[in-house]
Amino acid sequence: MKSLKRVASVIGVGHTDWVSDWHRVRAGERPDDCYGYAAGALRNALADAGIGKEQVNGLIVGPTTAYERMAEVVGLNVRWGDQADAVLSVVQACMAIESGAADVVALVYGNDQRSVGTQYGGPQAMGGDQFLSYVYHAPWGLTSQGALYALMFRRFCELHGVSERDLGHVAVAQREGSSRNPNAIQRKPISLDDYMAAPYITEPLRLFDYCLINDGGVALIIAEAGLARKLSPRAVSIEAVGRFDLNQGATSLEPRLTDFYRPAQQAVAEQIFGASGLDPSDIDVLQVYDSFSVHVPLALEGYGYCGIGESGRFMREKGIGLGGLLPTNTSGGHLSESYMQGWNHQIECVRQARGECGDRQIENCRRVHYTSDVAGKAVSIIYGA
Amino acid sequence: MPTQTAATPPRVLGLYDEPFWRHMKDDGRMHLQCCRDCGAWRYPPGPACHACLSPASDWKPVSGGGELLSWVTFHKQYLPAYPAPYNVIAVRLDEGPTLISNLIEDPEPDQRPIGRRVRLKVVAMADGVALPRFEFAD
Repeated sequence: MKSLKRVASVIGVGHTDWVSDWHRVRAGERPDDCYGYAAGALRNALADAGIGKEQVNGLIVGPTTAYERMAEVVGLNVRWGDQADAVLSVVQACMAIESGAADVVALVYGNDQRSVGTQYGGPQAMGGDQFLSYVYHAPWGLTSQGALYALMFRRFCELHGVSERDLGHVAVAQREGSSRNPNAIQRKPISLDDYMAAPYITEPLRLFDYCLINDGGVALIIAEAGLARKLSPRAVSIEAVGRFDLNQGATSLEPRLTDFYRPAQQAVAEQIFGASGLDPSDIDVLQVYDSFSVHVPLALEGYGYCGIGESGRFMREKGIGLGGLLPTNTSGGHLSESYMQGWNHQIECVRQARGECGDRQIENCRRVHYTSDVAGKAVSIIYGA
Repeated sequence: MPTQTAATPPRVLGLYDEPFWRHMKDDGRMHLQCCRDCGAWRYPPGPACHACLSPASDWKPVSGGGELLSWVTFHKQYLPAYPAPYNVIAVRLDEGPTLISNLIEDPEPDQRPIGRRVRLKVVAMADGVALPRFEFAD
């Protein structure tokens, strides 16, 4: 995707108050539905961008709301539209802008998964209609997505010499970030001993390896690069995007278990680092889709931040916390900030690049790499200050 | 594995799945689709060969031997038929396909289960489903 180099920039980010909604939902309230959370986030993103909604001419809605109804709720008639998950929304927005289909695109996402009791495990596992692997193995007792990552991690441990305690560095580092993030739901710092003392859910994964489930919404405003410079002094450039999918053998988990999605990540690394003229040492902050902690060591090895088989030592010795060599998921991510299915990570990328992260700001942050490997799709974005 | 009393959790029974379960019950052996044109084995069942796109296939018995790729222990109960703790494994069959199943006896970490040889054993569930599981073969 070389043509998508620096064609667009993020000019606004917004989200709902998921901390206060977390408490309200736990008290039995339903503060909003998916559409309400998304609308709230869009209001905040437009205000952050300093534009009105009449300036938006493209719209992408997340997978949890219907496109037409979402657009109706927020009153947007647009000349181009689409529906996608977090990372692909950013990619599609860049493609729409490069093609001329739109030049100011709003990306909106809302999810009421906690207040409506969405199940990610069990016979009604959410997403089973899209991903056969989520439900196909139910006769043998495997339905939860955490279990897929537990299977992946057990083999990764054995082949790559990573220990369960090494993996604990992910949860500990992210909690360090969230402890300095007023927007994070779980802010109490934890130690490696706390991590190891927590119960197994699907062994070898423990409680702190699993993401939160909460309500909320996120919106981004992405504009054509030249227009973005005129509209906002704080525009954050999308330096490069890349994607590669491993679909063969997906239901029986073949690409997870044999290569840990690494060939896809390596193909994407060539696209993004080649396209931007950068290499992993130029990245100041890493953001990784973390439905489970396991995604982090996989990304470290897959994108060349360390050698194959070295992620355990990298996390232990170089560090992925705020003071480490490669600060990772500095907001707390899905494990500790908020489970917005990759959307909240985009906000953190933008805020780190803008230098607006307060106590958790990484000094001289110039480039942030976001990556996700959900269901065999390795996708990456490099954001630049 | 614990004694099964509740119904087997629901199987996905798409247009191509029925022969897998019928052979399991009637013959006590696992059959998989094998491409009539290129010989590639297929799992889960489906309409076309992933290797050559041929629609023609035959249901053929597999040897039942394989290698254990990974294993986990569930400590949380999601399904009535599976009170925790219980194991789930991934096996690569000698014919090529990978499948998810259970080990009849729970593995121990010091057995270093990954990479060990396993063989198929069909288990009759309480509700009559013939479920393919595995045991160590070495």
